[in-house]
Amino acid sequence: MGADRAGSGRRAPVRAVTYAVCGVVLLAGCASMPDSGDLRGVESTPRQDPQVRVFAMPPREDASPVDIVQGFLEALTSDDPHYETARKYLTAQAAKSWRPERSTAVLAGAPGTVSDHSGSREEANDYSVTLTGAQVATVDAQQSYAPAEGSYRKPVHLTRDGKSRQWRIDVPPQGVVMGKSDFQRNYLSVNKYYFAANTVPETASGTGRRPAAVADPVYVRRRVDSMTQVVRSLVEGPTRLIGPVVRSSFPAGTALAQGAAPLTPDDRNTLTVPLNERAARVGEDTCDEMAAQLLFTLQSLTPAVDEVELRSGGTRLCSLTDDRAEAVATRGSAQRPDSLYFVDGEGGLVRIAAGSNGTRPDPVPGPLGEGETALGSVAVSRDEHRAAGVGADGKSLYVASLEPGASLGDPLLSSAGKGEADRLTPPSWDAQGDLWIADRDPGAARLLVFTEGAGEPAQVRTPGLDGRVQAVRVAADGVRIALIVERDGKRSLLIGRIERETRDGEENPTVTILELRSATPELEEVTAMSWAGDSRLVVVGREQGGVQQIGYVQVDGSTPEASVPAALTGVKEIAATEDERLPLVAYSEDAIVRLPSGMQWQKVTEGTAPVYPG
Amino acid sequence: MTRDSAAAAPGRSGPGAGRPVDPGPSGSRWERLLEGGLLHGGVQGSPVLRLFMRWVRRPLLPVMRLWRRNIQLKVVATTLLMSLGVVLLLGFVVIGQVRNGLLDAKVKASQSQATGGFAAAKQKADEAASTTTGDDGGTPADGRAPQNVIQWMSDLVKSLSSGGQGAFDVVTLPVGGDSGSGRGPRASGLVDPSASVPEALRQRIDGSTAAAQSYTRIVYSSDQGSQPALVIGKQVNDPNGEPYQLYYLFPLTQEEKSLSLVKGTLATAGLFVVVLLGAIAWLVVRQVVTPVRMAAGIAERLSAGRLQERMKVTGEDDIARLGEAFNKMAQNLQLKINQLEELSRMQRRFVSDVSHELRTPLTTVRMAADVIHDARVDFDPVTARSAELLADQLDRFETLLADLLEISRFDAGAAALEADAIDLREVVRRVVSGAEPLAERKGTRIVVIGDQQPVVAEADARRVERVLRNLVVNAVEHGEGEDVVVKLAAAGGAVAVAVRDYGVGLKPGEATRVFSRFWRADPARARTTGGTGLGLSIALEDARLHGGWLQAWGEPGGGSQFRLTLPRTADEPLRGSPIPLEPPDSRRNRERDTTDAQDAAPSDGSDAGPAAPARTATAATATATGRGPIPPLTTAEPPTADPTALPGNGARVVARPTAGAPRPDGTDGTDGTDGTDAPDETEEADEAERPDTGYRPDTGSRPDAGSEDTHRQGEASRGR
Repeated sequence: MGADRAGSGRRAPVRAVTYAVCGVVLLAGCASMPDSGDLRGVESTPRQDPQVRVFAMPPREDASPVDIVQGFLEALTSDDPHYETARKYLTAQAAKSWRPERSTAVLAGAPGTVSDHSGSREEANDYSVTLTGAQVATVDAQQSYAPAEGSYRKPVHLTRDGKSRQWRIDVPPQGVVMGKSDFQRNYLSVNKYYFAANTVPETASGTGRRPAAVADPVYVRRRVDSMTQVVRSLVEGPTRLIGPVVRSSFPAGTALAQGAAPLTPDDRNTLTVPLNERAARVGEDTCDEMAAQLLFTLQSLTPAVDEVELRSGGTRLCSLTDDRAEAVATRGSAQRPDSLYFVDGEGGLVRIAAGSNGTRPDPVPGPLGEGETALGSVAVSRDEHRAAGVGADGKSLYVASLEPGASLGDPLLSSAGKGEADRLTPPSWDAQGDLWIADRDPGAARLLVFTEGAGEPAQVRTPGLDGRVQAVRVAADGVRIALIVERDGKRSLLIGRIERETRDGEENPTVTILELRSATPELEEVTAMSWAGDSRLVVVGREQGGVQQIGYVQVDGSTPEASVPAALTGVKEIAATEDERLPLVAYSEDAIVRLPSGMQWQKVTEGTAPVYPG
Repeated sequence: MTRDSAAAAPGRSGPGAGRPVDPGPSGSRWERLLEGGLLHGGVQGSPVLRLFMRWVRRPLLPVMRLWRRNIQLKVVATTLLMSLGVVLLLGFVVIGQVRNGLLDAKVKASQSQATGGFAAAKQKADEAASTTTGDDGGTPADGRAPQNVIQWMSDLVKSLSSGGQGAFDVVTLPVGGDSGSGRGPRASGLVDPSASVPEALRQRIDGSTAAAQSYTRIVYSSDQGSQPALVIGKQVNDPNGEPYQLYYLFPLTQEEKSLSLVKGTLATAGLFVVVLLGAIAWLVVRQVVTPVRMAAGIAERLSAGRLQERMKVTGEDDIARLGEAFNKMAQNLQLKINQLEELSRMQRRFVSDVSHELRTPLTTVRMAADVIHDARVDFDPVTARSAELLADQLDRFETLLADLLEISRFDAGAAALEADAIDLREVVRRVVSGAEPLAERKGTRIVVIGDQQPVVAEADARRVERVLRNLVVNAVEHGEGEDVVVKLAAAGGAVAVAVRDYGVGLKPGEATRVFSRFWRADPARARTTGGTGLGLSIALEDARLHGGWLQAWGEPGGGSQFRLTLPRTADEPLRGSPIPLEPPDSRRNRERDTTDAQDAAPSDGSDAGPAAPARTATAATATATGRGPIPPLTTAEPPTADPTALPGNGARVVARPTAGAPRPDGTDGTDGTDGTDAPDETEEADEAERPDTGYRPDTGSRPDAGSEDTHRQGEASRGR
């Protein structure tokens, strides 16, 4: 008994020590960094690029003419909303007549100055220099960007003010001039949206005809109330380039209300746009369309707008939310294709669900999938009900339904070209259901369109086109067409607008491609291209003396800021969709590869001629 | 000695009441507060200021009282304050250290980064300069050279800042301030360059080619709030060899976050420490304070008379020893007090027993004396005279015995009150008519005032009559033939009867002593005449039994006033008296009336004056002189609501043990008032009052009944 008591007495401190140790261990767990725990998502906050701002300074006292010119040029690169500081370098007369918004000349480097004076004439009261540089592009008064070539030479004349004896510029260059990097720093490309004038996409529901929204890229100054600039530009109307084939829902003469404050979205991401009296009596549908135009446009500028409210003269016209906008108009970038199509090893048309990670293609139903005729290239209509295929030899074009049991029928078109490279190009469907294809036969090179993908082809008039069309892709909006044209051994990418005109007495409209302009003047050989956004294409090409690379290009010829896709060699064909979330797909090194966003290229399967619908 | 103590208490009550008692219970706190000095100064100011002070002070009073009385609160509050101080001090030191450490690290890292940046800028400038000269070697320097700087500098800022990933921003400024030469300012990350770079740093950089640093606040041109930063700048040359200022701005956001984390941690920990220390102090102090409080409570109960209370003692620590010592002390005290009580009880019983025992032989002696007295005509003159003397002194002896019995009944607490609603006017009328023969003999007129309205109170008519008869007879005897004024009044919850005479009055201090047993004004005078010396004592006990007051006022040569105040209903405590204790026609009042017309207000008979009379009454008492002819007594009154009047009550009277030897004098009434020589007349007066005394024997002792059964007071009442 005594022993027991002694034992328990000894055990009690042991237990106490055990508890203490457990407590210390527990506490120590709190006091050290965790090495396990529950899972949690990470919200990435992408770092905005370091925006460098230039703060213009007014001219100094007794500055030399050279300093005046330099100060003026520097002020042009600043963020003054109306170039007030730059105007201080001008004489009063010149400041009144100088129109900086008239145009912007983009040079390869900073503008150089060449003095026109052989000797030093410090005492003289006038001084002139010439601004020089290699011009890269021009932004016109409509803020539309256009690539340009050639050298830039503009005279600048300075004079000494009679009273204050200060040098000032009395003959400034019209517009603004700056180097390319300054331009990219100060300007921002934004898509304005209008509606295609005469193309109406088939709607799946068929209840109403939703107009197709057409992107119209413009450049606005990045840090000078860009939202108001964009809205003003949108309301003013489309740029000259696509003006004839689009319409704006804003009634003629509409403008932002007088004295409207800078537009900013409120806490609920709603932007209120006050318009002048001209917009006061629009109908509800028109107003919805106006709002949709605004909403699409603003969303391409910033994601911070979910709703647009239109007001005129103090009354609320209508408001449109993000969700409803898609019911008002269609946008190419908002339509997600179901499948990715390509030709398998036996020449049959197969498909894989778009955006999936799958690698096992299924043959499409219908004759093209059954492999009766070996195919070389294909195109699937945007509603994914029909497909067009060109035979493996490039000689014949077939159009078949993607329904089981349909028959192939006779070829719609045959080419008489001698070699495979001289026969038919891959076809392309537009949003109306018309099928576009070009025949590369050197003797009879032509661009054809099959209305509704059937019947007799109509030849497309291409005034000003010089060279053979090597590839055709029609944009989802049906207004723009991209062509790869070969001329003198150079293959360049041209973009033009499609005009349809139905003349009296003719059943089918005459289709014309106008305003063909090179979008990639710096590329010497463009191998493949595909639409990759409302106003953007992905292009595979090679610069002079360079290697093949993949890049994006805007329809106006500028280079978008979006990241360049990972490099890939030996790309022969490429496919993308307007929906940027779907991966790029290319045919390279005898295999289909795809590029899911944020990853590296990965092989899908064997096959050729990958295409998304369109 | 009993006399002294007794005198101090009861007699004083009336006039003295104003003075010594006044500061006692109610005023004392105030006075202590004022004398405490804390608020003393402010009270002197204007009434507005005083009001304000009072208004401010009032809510603080309970807190201050709690603070004064609660040692636990004091200890806990002190602990809290001191630990708060320590925590604050520690916090400042730690935060200072952390801040310096963070800044040191940041400054070092920033300096190396900025140095690298300056080198990179210089290198880029050199490269650009070499390519420019290479490309355009032939062109004139002034026309061609400066051109690339505009874009070059923007690109430089962009490339330098893009290396920072938000860790810093880059700013270029022209040399020589805003009016200096060179290119315009450039800034990355929406920084406002001129507002963010301090002017002093710019001037320093202008003046030297060495790098310099400073602390600043980055101001952003966007909505972002400004934040503290370290800025390091240096003068660098551009490709043209022209100098510009290049600044690296390192936001101290992270450091501030770290610092605020430390601050938050310290604040939380400090709060916990302070609160816990307070709680600990509370617990610890409670261990000590609880027994102390218990001891205090028990000591209070002990002093309240519950002598059997003891502390609970556990353990052997210091507190336990305190408890044991305390208990021992209490036990000894209890023992002693019990002994003393026993002693006093024995004494009282002895007095009572003696009175009883004397009665039986006295009856026999009386009968024998009556026989002798009746036969005195047959005696020779000397013997006849002796027989008369024998009869007289026997009368006195009987009266004295009766009074002694009555007093001993009061002492034993055996007196019972038989209260009934009575009209005091009737009582007064009876008393006055009873005293009329004596008054006629003295040539005194008895005037009754205030008997127009009924003055009804719940009282024992017999006792009230005894008291009043005592007072009136006293007044007539000492009134020196002047008028005696009896005044009745009722107000509030009280009724009062004041008896005023204009005789010799009272000397200072006598107003309290008149109620002492066997007290006489002139000790030299034998108590062969006058009353027994117990009349006023019994009257006082009667008043006390009613819950009322009996108070005296007097001034030498100015007469005196005795005032009886009774509650209107038996149980109601008295708060004041309807009649002022000091009569309005006192010398003092008259003097004041002459000097100050306002004060004249109350005429002699009128009802109570306001507070002022009470005060003056007290003064008057002091001046009251003793002896001489006793002027008619009037009861002076403190104002109705004057609480200062209270202390004079019978409360103190109770404690008084029975006085010394009884005196062979007649009535209660006479002897109580004063020990004046009682002439023969007084004897008759005594007889007039006999009925009174007659009662007494009945109630107080059963001598008439002759029953000896009870010595105890309780039986006294029964005997009745």
